[in-house]
Amino acid sequence: MNASAASITNGHDHGHGDHHGHVTLQYQPGLPLTRGKLIMWLFLSTEIMFFAALLGSYVVLRFGAPIWPKPHHVHLSEPIGAFNTFVLICSSVTIVLALESARANKASLAKIWMLLTLVLGGLFLGVKGYEYRAKFSHGIYPAMPHSRIYERPDLYYGSAVRARLDELRREPKDAWAAMKYAWSVAWHGSPQGAALHGVTEPETYDRLKELDEVAESSLTAEQVTARRSLQQIQKMLASPDQQSFDMAVIADQVMPVPAEGADHGGGHGAHGLNDAFPWLKLPTVIPGGNMWASTYFLLTGFHAIHVGVGLLVFAIMCTWTLNAKRAGAIENIGLYWHFVDLVWIFLFPLLYLF
Amino acid sequence: MSDHGTHGPVTRPGESADETLQHSIEAAHGEHHAHGGLGKYVLVFLALCGLTTMSFFTYSPAWPWRDQPQVGWAFMMAVSCTKAMLVILFFMHVWWEANWKYVLTIPAAMMALFLAIMLIPDVGMRNRMVSQERAMHMARPADLIELEKASSEGPFVEAAAH
Repeated sequence: MNASAASITNGHDHGHGDHHGHVTLQYQPGLPLTRGKLIMWLFLSTEIMFFAALLGSYVVLRFGAPIWPKPHHVHLSEPIGAFNTFVLICSSVTIVLALESARANKASLAKIWMLLTLVLGGLFLGVKGYEYRAKFSHGIYPAMPHSRIYERPDLYYGSAVRARLDELRREPKDAWAAMKYAWSVAWHGSPQGAALHGVTEPETYDRLKELDEVAESSLTAEQVTARRSLQQIQKMLASPDQQSFDMAVIADQVMPVPAEGADHGGGHGAHGLNDAFPWLKLPTVIPGGNMWASTYFLLTGFHAIHVGVGLLVFAIMCTWTLNAKRAGAIENIGLYWHFVDLVWIFLFPLLYLF
Repeated sequence: MSDHGTHGPVTRPGESADETLQHSIEAAHGEHHAHGGLGKYVLVFLALCGLTTMSFFTYSPAWPWRDQPQVGWAFMMAVSCTKAMLVILFFMHVWWEANWKYVLTIPAAMMALFLAIMLIPDVGMRNRMVSQERAMHMARPADLIELEKASSEGPFVEAAAH
């Protein structure tokens, strides 16, 4: 930018003394900012459009949907989201202070602020990872085959529950042997091929029957109730005159949906079958849950990637001497980091509180 | 530097053009430490924390408009826009920048707005006309689900009583 705007001036007359008529090139900036900062701002304006597209599609999908899950249906925790907001705001302050210290040529102080920013950004990602884990453990994934979300308690849902219960009746005794067998079948193309190579089907046991035989005294009160409703569900699914509304009852036992207005305090589906016995992993009904999961993981995922890139740059910068010469670079990464904070400022209320 | 004042900066030996520019910009604006300062940042930080608490307040039972979520949404968006403004103006130093800031931010913001508006007919209204097959697997509205739940509580009331 500044090179193109260079003006040609000659301070002295041509052919005078030792100047030999050479022109002196002098920089006269077109825009009063450095190249790095200009490029960062141009990049940020493309980023504005990128996140506007994501946030915009989230908003129109959310308000165009017939039903959208409440935060507690999908195991979102508002306090954790608020804590993460606080962490990002803190990191925005520390990076600004790193810049101020670098401008004042206090390199070691700047490095302390930079390290603190790195730690806070890492904390944000750690909390995000913890939140993702909570989703995954409840069968909330962005897509099949891991996702166990069904939109409505219909017969498809019923057959998915039946299939999972059948799976539990043939649970392998040794998970490692089962994995080895599955690999071998895939490698040799068939169970017969695996058998030829000495890998036989691992022994299985009926995990549901085993649960039935456990003494009541070794279970918690919640688990005793859960076991009873699990037996009820098995009976319902086996009965020839099952009704379609039975599926709604089953879905409510697997993961109760908090009633409208009663979604505060302990509404995290703590009484569901999947919560009483986490190994059950029964399919759940979360109306609107699939679209929710897609948008949630897309938005937070892209944001997390941006956080990760910022952390990478901070880590590299921590190896530098952060004196006044580096102030420009710190300012630019600071601009990027504030933008990442900015996106989260909108993501937090949209995803957690709407 | 004063003798070059009218012609702009000249690259000094051992300095890149960008650094020279940086120096000249700072000298021209006399803003080496004119803005910023710990006090101002702490103030902005406290304002941001306060605003976050305000939008979090809509989630608490004390929020008076619990039955009208739209009020809460509008409030939260207003709070978010205020927070975004604070971050942009003070942390990103836009408050102290020259007029180039409008050239870069306003077109991008307008494009972003158009982008979101253009999604409404295709994406936002996609449920207005759906195929029979799709309607079969779609989630149903909340009131229907509540009705179903109310009509089918038979067997488990029994089971719990035993």
